[in-house]
Amino acid sequence: MLLADFGTSYCKLLETCSTAPPRLIPTRSIDKSLRVDIATGHNGKRYATRYVNELTALARGGLRLIDDESFTLLDCGSRDIKYVSYSNGKIKDMGWNAECGASMGFTIELLERYYSLDFTTMTIPKNSFSVTCGVLGMSHIFDAVVTGESEETAVAKFVKGIAVNAYNFAKRPEKIYLSGGLCDNPLFIGSFPCPVHSLGRFVLLEGLQASL
Amino acid sequence: MAFSQITQQRAGIVGVPPLAVMEMLAGPEFEIFDLDEPQGKIDIETASPFLPQVYCGILRTVISNCLAVKPDSIYIDTGAGKCDCAVHTATVLEDLLPNCEIIRTRNNDSRNFGTPLCKAEMPLLQKMAAITASVQQPVAYNPLAPCTATAGFWGVPPRDFSLLDLFPDTTHVYGWARCMENKTPDNMELELHYNPDIPTVFFAQSFCAKTALARHLAGKHPHGLYLDCDVTAGNSAKAKIQAFLELSGI
Repeated sequence: MLLADFGTSYCKLLETCSTAPPRLIPTRSIDKSLRVDIATGHNGKRYATRYVNELTALARGGLRLIDDESFTLLDCGSRDIKYVSYSNGKIKDMGWNAECGASMGFTIELLERYYSLDFTTMTIPKNSFSVTCGVLGMSHIFDAVVTGESEETAVAKFVKGIAVNAYNFAKRPEKIYLSGGLCDNPLFIGSFPCPVHSLGRFVLLEGLQASL
Repeated sequence: MAFSQITQQRAGIVGVPPLAVMEMLAGPEFEIFDLDEPQGKIDIETASPFLPQVYCGILRTVISNCLAVKPDSIYIDTGAGKCDCAVHTATVLEDLLPNCEIIRTRNNDSRNFGTPLCKAEMPLLQKMAAITASVQQPVAYNPLAPCTATAGFWGVPPRDFSLLDLFPDTTHVYGWARCMENKTPDNMELELHYNPDIPTVFFAQSFCAKTALARHLAGKHPHGLYLDCDVTAGNSAKAKIQAFLELSGI
């Protein structure tokens, strides 16, 4: 059975009868005639007969991967952020910010390339910019650079602002389980004001497996 | 028939005007328009020159309806049973529609008509439509058998009823919508009531003061989800409802 999480920038595909790990494919490279058995992600309905809501897939994935009755699981993607919170094994809260969180992961990736930065070596700043959305927050970087701040520091403050914004959106939990492509970004993870446990970018695929 | 149509006055209502007003408007000389609800396919952006775009979607709908319907009179509740935004919208309407009589009301009615619709088993979209229609009926309700609730919807009738399609037929209605059916829109005790034993969505229109109450109560409820939407319910809002109910075992 072929399962897929069709994200904005990357698609994640898993063949359940195979022992091979999930495949990561840039969304723009996906064959438009591809058909999968179960899909999630905002492009998913186009490619599958059965579609699982992204929040449902995230929650089910979290239940499979997290050995805790109470937790907050935050997914930071290219386009949006979403979270689910469980308390004593029961769903407690959830949120999906597809508008004000728009283009967050996308913007971080774009900035790394534009300024030729390496997020794995950058220092986490003490302060952050106030960032409510990726696009609007960009002006803070340009303003800081104009006033003499290094591009690296300005971008780091921007990334920290995004992390703080995501933390606030998830209602400031004591600990965050993180899902999505930004799990691979140490600058982003280190910028959260609370401990972060990265679960990687295949949590929604786990959720689809739980939906079989 | 044609004669009566010509002589009927077009009376708009905003919020829940007092029972005495609704009894008067129930007469044959009036045609009532609930201006809180879209009166056909009317572009809400026609309200934009007169109200900020970042404003309650219901009151923007009131303005766009008024421009299209052209009522002869408007009974707009501006008391605690509606909201401050309605107070200011009434002022805008007075300047915008000089040939229309704007009557500000304050509904302090305390006679309980009951809430049979809120507790009945029927599709939530139909139920909410019946609740809003009940405002225009100043008469006692027919009894309806209550069902056992499996989910709750707390809040106001949404601008976009399509989000109600996602709930089971055994959803009980709470909040201001329940106050509407009871014909006591200023009954804070009734508005604060919810059932802590059923998963409940606490809904308010974006940019409405009730967002504070909806979010506060969702936090107090052991199994509550806060939700706000503007003019239309987007995919993320619908996905939240769908996932919340599904993950709650409904």
